[in-house]
Amino acid sequence: MKRIPYFPGCAMKDQARDYERAAQAALAALGCELVELPRWNCCGTVYSLANDDLMRHVGPVRNLIRVQDMGEDRVLTLCAMCYGTLRRSARFVAADPERLSRINAFMSDEHDYRGGVEVLHLLGLLRDVVGYENLASKVVRPLTGVRAAPYYGCTLVRPREVGVDNPDQPEVFERVLSALGAEVAEFPYKVECCGAYLTVGAPAIVAGRVRDIVASAAANGADLIVTSCPLCQFNLEARRPGIGPRLPVAYLGQLLAWALGADACLPPEAEALIQGTTPAAAGAQQR
Amino acid sequence: MATYPKEMQESIVQVEATRPQRMKARFPRLSLAEQEALLRGFHPDYKEGGKRPLQVGPSQGELVPHEVADLLEAYPLLDPREVDLSKVDYDVDVLVIGGGGAGTVAALWACEAGIPADRILIATKLRHGDSNSMMAQGGIQAADKPHDSPAIHYLDVIGGGHFAGDPKLVRALVQDGPMIIRWHEALGVMYDKGPDGTMITIHGGGTSRKRMHSAKDYTGMEIMRVLRDEARSRGIPVLEFSPAVELLTDVHGQVAGAVLWNLETEEYLIVRAKATVLATGGWGRLHIQGFPTTNHYGATADGLVLAYRVGAKLRDLDSVQYHPTGAAYPEQLVGLLITEKVRGLDAQPVNRDGELFVHPLEPRDVESAAFIRECMPLEQGGRGRGVVTPTGMVGVWLDTPMVDMIHGKGTFQRALSSIWRMYVRFDIDPTREPILVYPSLHYQNGGVAIDENGWTGIPGLFAGGEVEGGVHGKNRLMGNSLLDYNVFGRRAGLAAAAWAKDARVGRLTLAHVKRYVEQLKAAAVPKERRAPLLLPDYRGERVLARMVDLL
Amino acid sequence: MLTVYIMGKGYRVPEGLTIMKAMEYAGYRLVRGCGCRGGYCGACATVYRLPGDYRLYADLACQTTVQDGMYIAQLPSTPAERADYQLSQVAPRGEALLALYPELARCVACNTCTRSCPQKLEVMDAVQAALRGDIRQVAELTFDCVQCGLCAMRCPAEIAHYHVWQLARRLCGAYLTPRAQHLARRVAEVESGAFDAELDRLMGMGKDELAKAYQARDIEP
Repeated sequence: MKRIPYFPGCAMKDQARDYERAAQAALAALGCELVELPRWNCCGTVYSLANDDLMRHVGPVRNLIRVQDMGEDRVLTLCAMCYGTLRRSARFVAADPERLSRINAFMSDEHDYRGGVEVLHLLGLLRDVVGYENLASKVVRPLTGVRAAPYYGCTLVRPREVGVDNPDQPEVFERVLSALGAEVAEFPYKVECCGAYLTVGAPAIVAGRVRDIVASAAANGADLIVTSCPLCQFNLEARRPGIGPRLPVAYLGQLLAWALGADACLPPEAEALIQGTTPAAAGAQQR
Repeated sequence: MATYPKEMQESIVQVEATRPQRMKARFPRLSLAEQEALLRGFHPDYKEGGKRPLQVGPSQGELVPHEVADLLEAYPLLDPREVDLSKVDYDVDVLVIGGGGAGTVAALWACEAGIPADRILIATKLRHGDSNSMMAQGGIQAADKPHDSPAIHYLDVIGGGHFAGDPKLVRALVQDGPMIIRWHEALGVMYDKGPDGTMITIHGGGTSRKRMHSAKDYTGMEIMRVLRDEARSRGIPVLEFSPAVELLTDVHGQVAGAVLWNLETEEYLIVRAKATVLATGGWGRLHIQGFPTTNHYGATADGLVLAYRVGAKLRDLDSVQYHPTGAAYPEQLVGLLITEKVRGLDAQPVNRDGELFVHPLEPRDVESAAFIRECMPLEQGGRGRGVVTPTGMVGVWLDTPMVDMIHGKGTFQRALSSIWRMYVRFDIDPTREPILVYPSLHYQNGGVAIDENGWTGIPGLFAGGEVEGGVHGKNRLMGNSLLDYNVFGRRAGLAAAAWAKDARVGRLTLAHVKRYVEQLKAAAVPKERRAPLLLPDYRGERVLARMVDLL
Repeated sequence: MLTVYIMGKGYRVPEGLTIMKAMEYAGYRLVRGCGCRGGYCGACATVYRLPGDYRLYADLACQTTVQDGMYIAQLPSTPAERADYQLSQVAPRGEALLALYPELARCVACNTCTRSCPQKLEVMDAVQAALRGDIRQVAELTFDCVQCGLCAMRCPAEIAHYHVWQLARRLCGAYLTPRAQHLARRVAEVESGAFDAELDRLMGMGKDELAKAYQARDIEP
């Protein structure tokens, strides 16, 4: 079993509990054991781009110190926003030793962060550590017939320097979905922002974005949208406008678990679609 | 360890040497006759010259400690002739004097009885919650386990109080116990419980059943802060730093509110109230017989003074409770409460030579007398086996390492976390070394006489909590003071609310004070004596000698 | 003797005093900033520095021994609004804390609150637990809080921690812990008068009879 240090982030413990459970089960089936960081803190996600605001990096860097204290040099996140934030902070302090030494001096109650912790997202792990072919070979319930739209959202691929893939032409999500046996529904809105935190103060804007994203996916043949971000998932479900096409939404981890024969914790709409579409795998358990 | 001085460390070696054999030792409990003899010989209440009979007032002739008599037989702080009673600052249905446990409970139940929150006022000397209630550690008694009953609790209380308690009050106390705990549970008090919700209960001194409910060793704090939070949710107004300096009466002879004094701006305030609840707490800061105290800063017996001046009877003031285990070392902690729960968790009291010399859980007065006898020099009639500290304080050991040894590692730090923290701050680890203790002035066993509804006998005046008397007889058991303030705070609040519904307040007057002053003059009480005390004075002597009021 | 600077002014006081007693020795008769004098009420919140040390320390005046050159200031009151709620109307779910105290989300995990806590609580961890909606964890981590307000005063995100903790603990006690069944049964028994006869009898007993009954009690081991 490969030990992978794991940073959950706040959503995984509350709203996106099912994503976490499914992903853990799926990764176990792929030979990866997730080891949660002891005493991790919120990444403080998606802060401003202002460079001289060191305080914003204290929270993320503290988590990287936890990884270091475990004697490890990599950490996995499932949430796209945590991924973006942790990776940006890691990069921020790597770029300028003086900033790092000031942050270390401020956090005098911790060991110094020495740098070098690599932040991985689930998609990157599947591509670089597990491998597409290896992944495909472990599938027991292929998602044959499911037309899945890979919704990256924005923080998985932007800023360019920290993204898991090329923001203009990413392919990692599509490759993973194909390895799971699904049919990929390519659609032009796959890297468009859902509106994120505007859902709190300006939900109408988010509703407009969600309408365009879902309509685009549906127009390109999707019957399911797959995401890796709890906020995207929330917006796609809760901010759907009353008219227009509706598509069920599932987390990447849930699809992964299903295909690998593990407990997938799928939401009812997505589960019904998948069960109704895919042929039942020989000997595989239903949830 | 390095923090105990050498002479004390030599004694600790003895304690450690005798510990293995003491782990299984059982010390027999004293018979009633033996208890009586021990008390007569060594309890400070029996010391010659500590008390005198009151010269004036409704309890004339009753013996009270000098420090208390000096306040009861004293002139008012405010000259009644200089107080303008025509300008009323607050007009309420229920005035609660005292913002500790009893006061807050009284206000909550007055609210519950239908008095609108804005017709209630809590006036308190310091902040809302500053009280002895906040400091209680070990627990609250209530007979809610199947093998226990309010009747058994009754017997424990009445016997522990040396059969001097008022039967009606004792009955109210024990009968209301389970209901109070359930009320707390619903309010969100985090009592120690087992996984299925069963209350974890232990023994206290003098109890025959394990019925002490606790919240670690912050029981008082946990209950007080929940009650305070609920009072805030209800919007009950609180006037802080505004002690009462006099009760008001009206021309019909009812108590009709109080004169408050703003401690910071020095202005007086007139509160007219249809019903007044006295919840002013205890007297620890009078340092009776020179003892250090476990009490909070404001415990100066103000309520006794105020009640006495309107004619309320006082009872059992000749009985002063010393808590057997006040901290005796280091000097910074002297007097602070070390909860009985430590002994409830099997730490034994041990003398200088490492010997167990008394049962750990005799009733408090007996236990205190035993400690005092153990420490008193031979030439004064004691056993001379106390441990002396570099500052001249004397005490006995409480063998605290036994707690973890018997109940498992980590028990002390978890269940007695406030004590653990207290000592660790001063570099002593009580799980590895014993702590030194000596009796500390703790509780006012008696007080203003009340009936089972918290009524003082004076129309319009009610009382709950430490300020009243008759519940505990001559000695309070552990865990019954938290119960007392809840039971009688509630009853006083309900009775006050009922009274307020029909009461009509006439013209306000301080005539009762004027009458009292005449009695004082007739008894030739020295003019310099003033009361209530409000706050103790701990300023350095050097500074006091040079102090002059120029502003 | 050593020197303590009280609000900037130096006073000579004997060694071994607590900050509170040192102030009284110097001539202050405390009105604010003095409560239980024993570490339970948080009234005497104090911040101080030591000579040659840039760090700002925080502790309770009644439990802290003076050091030579100590430079103190007190915080007897913290301006911090408590949210308006009725416990019975707050759902015991994680979102409740954030809904009533949304500034919790501003936490940058700087750990200043933890460093300011005189009770040495893991305050930042409690904020994190609150953000995750883990009410029980918040209650456990903050049980020993004396509500001194030092964390709230120093927090860059302007969170009023102790108000949040009070709500979390009440929610935990009222809703997240099973109710004691034996307690409910006993309350019903008392209300139905099950113990009235026995209590009447005890109330009517004379002193000698009571003393006999008292001596004859069996004590639960």
